[in-house]
Amino acid sequence: MTYARKMLGAASGLALLVAAGAAQADVLFWSTQANPVEEQQAMRDQVLSGHDDAVDYQSNELGPWITRLEAELQADSGTIGLLGALHGNFSAMDPENLVDLGDMGVMSASDTFNDLAKLGTDSMQYMPWMQASYIMAANREALHYLPEGADIDALTYDQLIEWAANAHEAAGEPKFGFPAGPKGLKHRFFQGYLYPSYTNGVVRTFASDKAVTAWEKFRELWAHTNPGSTNFSFMQEQLLSGDAWIVFDHTSRLANAFNERPDDFVAFPAPAGPEGRGFMPVLAGVAIPRTAPDMEASKALIAHLMKPETQIATLKATSFFPVVDVDLPDDLPPSVKAAGDAVAKMSGSADANPGLLPAGLGDKGGDFNRVYVDTFERIVLAGQPIEAVLQDQKTRLEAIMNETGAPCWAPDAPSEGACPVE
Amino acid sequence: MAAPVPHPDKEPDAAPAASTRSAGRLLYLAGVILLCAWVLVPIYFLMINTLSAPETVNSFPKPFFPEFDLGSLQFFAGFAGMLAALKNSILVAALTMIMSIAIGSPAGYALSRFDFPGKELFRLLILLTRAFPLPLLALPLAVMFIQTGLDDTQFGLALVHTTLALPFAVLITFSLFSGIPIELEEAAWTLGCTRLTAFTKVVLPLILPGITASAIFAFVISWNEVFAAAVLTIENRTLTAFLLQSLDTPPLHLKFAGGFILVVPALIFIFAVRKYLFAMWGIANR
Repeated sequence: MTYARKMLGAASGLALLVAAGAAQADVLFWSTQANPVEEQQAMRDQVLSGHDDAVDYQSNELGPWITRLEAELQADSGTIGLLGALHGNFSAMDPENLVDLGDMGVMSASDTFNDLAKLGTDSMQYMPWMQASYIMAANREALHYLPEGADIDALTYDQLIEWAANAHEAAGEPKFGFPAGPKGLKHRFFQGYLYPSYTNGVVRTFASDKAVTAWEKFRELWAHTNPGSTNFSFMQEQLLSGDAWIVFDHTSRLANAFNERPDDFVAFPAPAGPEGRGFMPVLAGVAIPRTAPDMEASKALIAHLMKPETQIATLKATSFFPVVDVDLPDDLPPSVKAAGDAVAKMSGSADANPGLLPAGLGDKGGDFNRVYVDTFERIVLAGQPIEAVLQDQKTRLEAIMNETGAPCWAPDAPSEGACPVE
Repeated sequence: MAAPVPHPDKEPDAAPAASTRSAGRLLYLAGVILLCAWVLVPIYFLMINTLSAPETVNSFPKPFFPEFDLGSLQFFAGFAGMLAALKNSILVAALTMIMSIAIGSPAGYALSRFDFPGKELFRLLILLTRAFPLPLLALPLAVMFIQTGLDDTQFGLALVHTTLALPFAVLITFSLFSGIPIELEEAAWTLGCTRLTAFTKVVLPLILPGITASAIFAFVISWNEVFAAAVLTIENRTLTAFLLQSLDTPPLHLKFAGGFILVVPALIFIFAVRKYLFAMWGIANR
C-alpha cells in the first residue's frame, strides 16, 4: 500500500465520519421552483411545515439542479427524495429515471395535465403540482391613454399597439415593457401568444404569411417598447420602478408589484389577434428519482402536496395556482386575486384560443425555444427582412421536429408522426 | 539687490511649467478619486439600499443618507440556515487557504530553485487547470464524491476549491521565491543550517507577506465559488451557494440586503489582512 493510497483512505474515512454526523432522515425536496428567498421561506413555513415528516426544501438554479441529479443517478446512490421542476425539465429526462406514480391514487383535476405527465409512457412519471400562466399588467396611470372604445378585458393586438403608442407620446418615452432579458420568458410569448393569436398554430404555421403579419405587428409594438427591455427579466421590477407602464409576463413574475402596491396596478388578459386570444399554461410537477433513499417518505410528501389545503398554501406562497379542485378562500394576497381574475377572463373569453406546452421534444426543448428567440432577435432587434429570417429558421425548426418526431400540439392541427413545418 | 529680481526672460517659461505641474497633479488626483469611486460608490449604494424601506429602494433618485430601516436585514435574520451556511463558508475558505498554501508553496519553491526537465511545460500546465469550466467538471466530481463518501462535506468542497486556487498559489510563491537570492540560502548553509532550517529561518520570514497574499486569493476564490458548492453540498451549504442562486428573482430590497450580507464578510477579511497584500506589491511599511 503506497503512501498516497493511505492518505486517500484516511481522507475518505475522515469524510465518512463527518458525513455520518450530518446525516438525518429529512426528505430532501430538490426544486427549481419557488426559488426567490422570500418564496423559499414561505414554502418552508407555510407549505411544508404542515407535513408529518421534516422536509429539507432546497431550491436551485437549473444547472446545479440537473448536475446533482445526474450525479446521483450515475452513482446509483441518492439523497434527493423529491424533485420539483417545470414540465419542460421533466420531459427532457429519461422516464426510466423517474418512479412511476400511476398507482398513487391522487392526480390533478385536468386530464390534459395528467396526460402530459406521462411523458409518452403508460404511467404518470411526475405529479402535476401547480400551474400558472402569462398575463398582462398595467400601471393605473396608463389607463388614461387606452384607445377610445377599447375594453381592457378584451383588447386586440392593434388596440394594444395603439395604447402603447398613446402612452409613449404622453410620457415622452416608450412605456411598454417586454421580458426580453437573458432570463426573460420571451419565447413563451411567441409560442403561446403571438403565433396562436395570428396564425392558429406554432410549428405548422411558423413561416406562413400570417406569421409575417404577426412579426410586422410585433415590430410595430417594439417601436413603443422600452429599449431597456432586452435587459428586463422580471417585469414586476419595471412596473414598480415606473420604467414600464404596460407589461407582459409570467403571473408569478408580476406578483411583487401587486403585493407591494395593490392599488396602483391592474391585471388583464392577453390581447387577441385575428385567430383568437392565444394563451398558454405553465405546469410544474413533482417526481421521485429512482435513487430516492426512502420511497415511502417521498410518496407521503407528494400526497401532502396534493391535499387541497396544501395547494392553497402553495398558492399563497408562490402565486402558482392549484391543479386539484379547491374552494379558494377570501384572504388571498392581492397578486393572486389579480392574476386569478385575469386568467379566468382570458380562458373564459369568447375568442379564447388555448395552446398547450410543447410536448415530445425531449432534451431538444431548449433548441426549440432558441429558434423563436433567434427569430425575434434577427427580425426585431437586428431589423432583418421577416420572410428571409423565417425561411432560414424554418429549416432549423424542421430539423428539430424530424429528429424528435414530436407530433403537433394545440393549437396546431394534429399530425401523423412529426409535426410538419408548412 | 540684483539677486531677488527675477531674470527677465525666465519669467514666461516658469508659469507654463508650474501650470503643467499643477495640471498633472490635478489629473493624478482625479485619477485617484475616480478609482476610489469605482470601488466605493457601488458598495455605498448597496449599503443605502440595504438599509432602506422597500418603497425607497424602488424610487429614484436614491437618498444620499440611509434611513436605517432594518426590515430587509431582519428577513435574512429569520431565514433558515443562514448562520450554519456562514460557518460552512468560513470553514471551507479556511481549509482552502491552508491546503492551497501547504501544497502550492513547495511547488513554487521547487519551480524557482531546481532545474528539471519539463519545467516550463509544468508551469503552463498548472494554468491549464483553470481552463476547464466547473459545470463541466462538476458532474464526474459529484459522482466520485458520492462513491467515496466525500459528498456533502466541507472537506470535500475545500478540496475542489483548493484545485481552483492552486495555480495562483504556485505562481505567486514561485515569483516570491525567485525574488530571494539563492546566495542568502547558501550563506545560511555555510553557517551550519540544513536545507530545511535555512528555509525556515531565512527564506520563510522574507516571503511570509507574499504567502498571506496568495492565501487571500485562495480565500476569495473559495468564498465566491457557487457551482461546485451547490452541486457537492446539500446539508453543509456555503453561504454563497445558499444565497446567491436565490437572489436573482426576489424583490429589489431583498436582493440588495442579500448582496450586502455576501459582500461584508469578504470585505472584513480583506480589510483585516490588507497590509500583507500591500506588502507583496512592495509598497508597505515593512
